Amino acid sequence: MIFLLLIYALIIIIIVPGLIKRNEWRELAVFSILYIIAFVLGLMYVLDIPIPSPMHGLQRLIVDVLGIKYPMQ
Amino acid sequence: MSIEKGKISSLQLLFLIAGFVQGSGLLIDFTVGITEHQTWMVVLAGLAVTTPFFLSYVVLAKRFPGMNLVQINDMVYGRVLGKVISIYYIFFFLMTLSFNIRDVGELYITFLMPDTPFIFLLAVFTATCAYAVAKGIEVLARVSHLFVFTSIFAIISTFILLIDQMDFSNFLPFFEVPFMRIFQGIHIVSVIPFGETIIFLVIMGYLNNTGHAVKNTFIGLLIGGLSLFIISVTDTAVLGRTQTIWTSPSFQSIRLIDIGTVLTRMDFLIGIAQTVLIFFKCSLFFYTLAVSVSQLFGLKSYLPVILPLAGIEVIVAATVFQSPVDHAMITQNTGIIYSVPLIYIFPPLSLMIAKIRDLPKVERSKGT
Repeated sequence: MIFLLLIYALIIIIIVPGLIKRNEWRELAVFSILYIIAFVLGLMYVLDIPIPSPMHGLQRLIVDVLGIKYPMQ
Repeated sequence: MSIEKGKISSLQLLFLIAGFVQGSGLLIDFTVGITEHQTWMVVLAGLAVTTPFFLSYVVLAKRFPGMNLVQINDMVYGRVLGKVISIYYIFFFLMTLSFNIRDVGELYITFLMPDTPFIFLLAVFTATCAYAVAKGIEVLARVSHLFVFTSIFAIISTFILLIDQMDFSNFLPFFEVPFMRIFQGIHIVSVIPFGETIIFLVIMGYLNNTGHAVKNTFIGLLIGGLSLFIISVTDTAVLGRTQTIWTSPSFQSIRLIDIGTVLTRMDFLIGIAQTVLIFFKCSLFFYTLAVSVSQLFGLKSYLPVILPLAGIEVIVAATVFQSPVDHAMITQNTGIIYSVPLIYIFPPLSLMIAKIRDLPKVERSKGT
């Protein structure tokens, strides 16, 4: 947990001052969105909260709903 | 305005493509369980099937010089539909990169460093890729020939060192595997790794001269394809029918190297060579992902998104599959089916629409 917080604090220290200095607000906004997603995922992983897999969702859609699959060998 | 300042030559592109395909040396294992001793045929057939589509990527890139995949989609399909298709591509890049990062983790956990925490391996590997991506495509392109020669050396030396254990009757009988399984095998190989070369539609925009692009990219694909062919031949000749029971047949065959009980345990060295190659492949995928995301949001540079994307990739790689079996099962079905439009439909369709609408010329004349 502490390791995660340290890494994410370090990322802010490395990236954000440069973006503010160069007035790159759009870059800062996109960075912030991705940063929050990454941090939340990291936090969920550290706290053992189950993270849904996009591939399992996709499998349900393609195999179970649409019925597209190769026959079992 | 381009978000990448660097330029690459078409010779460097040749090595980038060859190294990228060779980086999937361990991934033909997905096919082995299905096509057994006929995997070598499937590799060749997969190469033949993908080649026309691959050439359509190159022709598309030549038609839109200096533009990447997201820009091409915007121009061909319009801003809204183009963005939707680009998001589909970005999802593909994100997921495929996480699979490849996970492959490295699984390789190390299974064979090389079983006591190391899985997430630590993923984090270190992804951080290394992020560092390479931050250096830009020019740096990756400049060292690409080293990766290709390392791979060729590893593949040929493995083949030579295993010759005494090879039994070429393992290839018989021909055409024993049912057609449906061969078809699925060809589908897997034509997506992983040949179809994954779709990422070069992002990279080819930075070619300084598209003159010999078609020839050089095709040679690159051929070098990569032949490398995979040699790996599949080695695995079948050495392991025979037992290759289907191993988690990683290519790694298992390397473990059998034993020259006079002196030259043994080569798996660690080959494991390092494989890691270097997967690193190269993952770096190219990561670069493509970072550039595509930045282009989608209209950023001036892709550098600010690298570290957050790396954080996302590590967690997605750690959680996307529950086990190596789950990994193989999903990749052999859903993984190859959802990527069909991205690899086989959109690029030729874009090319057709561009030809009908005479797109680059129209855009150029609008600009002048």
